[in-house]
Amino acid sequence: MGLDSFTPQKRFSTGGGGGALPINNHDATAAGRNRGVPRGRQLHKTFNNIKITILCGFVTILVLRGTIGVGNLGSSEADAVNQNLIEETNRILAEIRADSDPNDPDESTETGLNPNVTYTLGPKISDWDQQRKVWLSGNPEFPNFVNGKPRILLVTGSPPKPCDNPIGDHYLLKAIKNKIDYCRLHGIEIVYNMAHLDKELAGYWAKLPLIRRLMLSHPEIEWIWWMDSDAFFTDMVFEIPLSKYDQHNLVIHGYPDLLFEQKSWIALNTGSFLFRNCQWSLDLLDAWAPMGPKGPVRDEAGKVLTANLKGRPAFEADDQSALIYLLLSQKGRWMDKVFVENQYYLHGYWAGLVDRYEEMMEKYHPGLGDERWPFVTHFVGCKPCGSYGDYSVDRCLRSMQRAFNFADNQVLKLYGFSHRGLLGPNIKRIRDETTTPLEIVDQLDIRRSVTGKTKSKS
Amino acid sequence: MSDQCSRLRRSRTKITVLCLLITVIVLHGTFNRVNPDSAAEENRNHHAGAEAPRKRVDTRRLLEEAQNDSAQADNNNDKSYAEFDIAKILVDEEGGNEKPDPNKPYSLGPKISDWDQQRSEWLTNNPNFPNFIGPNKPRVLLVTGSSPKPCENPVGDHYLLKSIKNKIDYCRLHGIEIFYNMALLDAEMAGFWAKLPLIRKLLLSHPEIEFLWWMDSDAMFTDMAYELPWERYKDSNLVMHGWNEMVYNDKNWIGLNTGSFLLRNCQWSLDLLDAWAPMGPKGKIREEAGKILTRELKGRPVFEADDQSAMVYLLVKEREKWGEKVYLENAYYLHGYWGILVDRYEEMIENYHPGLGDHRWPLVTHFVGCKPCGKFGDYSVERCLKQMDRAFNFGDNQILQMYGFTHKSLASRRVKRVRNETGNPLEVQDKLGLLHPSFKAVKISDSS
Repeated sequence: MGLDSFTPQKRFSTGGGGGALPINNHDATAAGRNRGVPRGRQLHKTFNNIKITILCGFVTILVLRGTIGVGNLGSSEADAVNQNLIEETNRILAEIRADSDPNDPDESTETGLNPNVTYTLGPKISDWDQQRKVWLSGNPEFPNFVNGKPRILLVTGSPPKPCDNPIGDHYLLKAIKNKIDYCRLHGIEIVYNMAHLDKELAGYWAKLPLIRRLMLSHPEIEWIWWMDSDAFFTDMVFEIPLSKYDQHNLVIHGYPDLLFEQKSWIALNTGSFLFRNCQWSLDLLDAWAPMGPKGPVRDEAGKVLTANLKGRPAFEADDQSALIYLLLSQKGRWMDKVFVENQYYLHGYWAGLVDRYEEMMEKYHPGLGDERWPFVTHFVGCKPCGSYGDYSVDRCLRSMQRAFNFADNQVLKLYGFSHRGLLGPNIKRIRDETTTPLEIVDQLDIRRSVTGKTKSKS
Repeated sequence: MSDQCSRLRRSRTKITVLCLLITVIVLHGTFNRVNPDSAAEENRNHHAGAEAPRKRVDTRRLLEEAQNDSAQADNNNDKSYAEFDIAKILVDEEGGNEKPDPNKPYSLGPKISDWDQQRSEWLTNNPNFPNFIGPNKPRVLLVTGSSPKPCENPVGDHYLLKSIKNKIDYCRLHGIEIFYNMALLDAEMAGFWAKLPLIRKLLLSHPEIEFLWWMDSDAMFTDMAYELPWERYKDSNLVMHGWNEMVYNDKNWIGLNTGSFLLRNCQWSLDLLDAWAPMGPKGKIREEAGKILTRELKGRPVFEADDQSAMVYLLVKEREKWGEKVYLENAYYLHGYWGILVDRYEEMIENYHPGLGDHRWPLVTHFVGCKPCGKFGDYSVERCLKQMDRAFNFGDNQILQMYGFTHKSLASRRVKRVRNETGNPLEVQDKLGLLHPSFKAVKISDSS
């Protein structure tokens, strides 16, 4: 790109000095390089040349800057490293999140369930109560009652792969910490399941084979308490009044009128319920399971449920609707052993509770378990482990954080700390250190107050 | 002349077109780069630092408005978890950072000198909370924790979740309680030092605890059957994995490991914590201490003081005072460096069995240097995460076999059945005897 090609343009666009006839000027231009031309004109030419050089140089720099970021040499290295790290992490993330397993030879050979064969959770057992009794008397070092309280096993879980988004895993972590805290204070053991024990019963149905398996493997467990991963304990002092359920085998939160009169699909909630370890429960699980196997069975069952239960949208059969349908259609067989509890929030729907935490802290105290201080706050519909929830993400996460802090404050109280606010991660000291810590400990340790109550009862 | 004119016109047109082209290219390049960055920047500045509730409400309303505006096309935008910035929510209301008095030397708390007596009095008055839950079995509290904020690495929280599940499983089998900490008790002792004020607080609040077992969040149990040899430690107050020669003779900074250790609940431990803490307070003290440690200890790189190096230094300098009650254990992997263990899992499965706890079947596989929660570790992300999956599955197999399942392979999340369901489940014992192990048996007099 020589300046030669611009020379004619320069000459004509500037115009000022180009008053002379083209022919003459052209000649003059050609000649002007070789021979002397009038000084002013030469100067003018030089100026124009320089102008255009600068202009072109400018344009070149702009273009280069736009394409390869020449102006950012200083920070490009760190950026490049960051970029590489992010890419590598993303690649590994994608691999980890991939559903298919490259090392799994069996995957392709598994066929779907034969719809003609009825699904079963396992070989039918008819004498579980007897088997269990014999075992317990033969194993006195594994009693089903410890310190006067029946042995409870809290069961919860989440899928084995990372959540669709990182926030989901973070709240799963906070939720399990919350459960660990409650269970430590109340002497309850936890099983956190991350395995799909039965391919047919995946998703919300996965709890059925799990519960059955744990019951049969742990005869020393008196009650199995299933709790969803999106449910938080918000009353650390409240204890389930198990003696109330001596004549019952299933304790579930719900409303009898919604169940029997309205046949509503949300009359009961299977996000938090207790099963006694006995024959009756095994039978109920067997009766509950048939709507679960995924594929045509579950889809067809879903239609039946939508047709029969009030307010149920159209989707595949879920365990909650199926249980409601079962209890309604076989009411005589099951209901006398089912306790539909609503005196306290064994399951507490979050939307009506989370905004009132400040009011609760002001007026009430832990230990009530009901609408004044909910036992469990359950974030139905938020689905933080997935990509989409039924509610706004901002509202869900904010509320979950508040519930977590609300509960955590009750745990930290013993140690003399409290969260600054219900949202933030930081804590503040609410009690100075002393040289005689045990005085406070006696007053504040929840475990002591809980055991004291039990002892006095027995 | 017309010839000249048309040539003129042509060249002028050419040049105009050329310039136009260049302008378009330049503009295209600049505006595409600028837009995404500036929009995100604006959002961040707009929503960070919301302090008063009123301001928070305004911000939130604006956020909702902004989301509504931008989401005209996509109604589900605010229900989507993708791209949501959690930092907008995890914000504290008031600042209120009390600055510590720089002239006062740091202390973990007011000096207590009669803790042994206070504690034994309390234990006498509270027979329902004995410090021994079995003839040779002390009451143990396993303490671990992580940050209350989400991990920088998007899969970090998932690995923290798997790690705590792994600990829950081991502790359930062995009758150990867990405390998962997510609170920073003392801002001065942040980072690896945060365990000190926490440990002290827990010891003083739980006199029924006989041993406190600190375990890092990046350590996993890989031998579910191994029970710690408690009788071995009846005369010790601090048990760490390490080697006497490496600590006392070599002064090697990795002569012991503070990622997994036992501390008895007694006066000696309180004193030790007080002696350990001074190098911890962040800022100048920690940096200066770091220089001392690098100078004094073998092989230590240059960085601020960490709790492990400080412990080595303390033991070396004051051996007469502390050494007698410190047990440096290496007969089994109370802490097992992952680098030399993870590739051998298949070999271990073939040749050995759980319950050994040592190089043949490590009790703990500790992923030092991996830092799955942070952005940068000392090892490649891929190797770390893949090996953590393998270690997790290795340990999980021992739990699943109780129920008749196992992972399809050490790399696979899927499980397969290895024992059929029967009509007499109680006759079948699991191979490792973990369903009802002896170390979980309750004293018969307790059952009522």
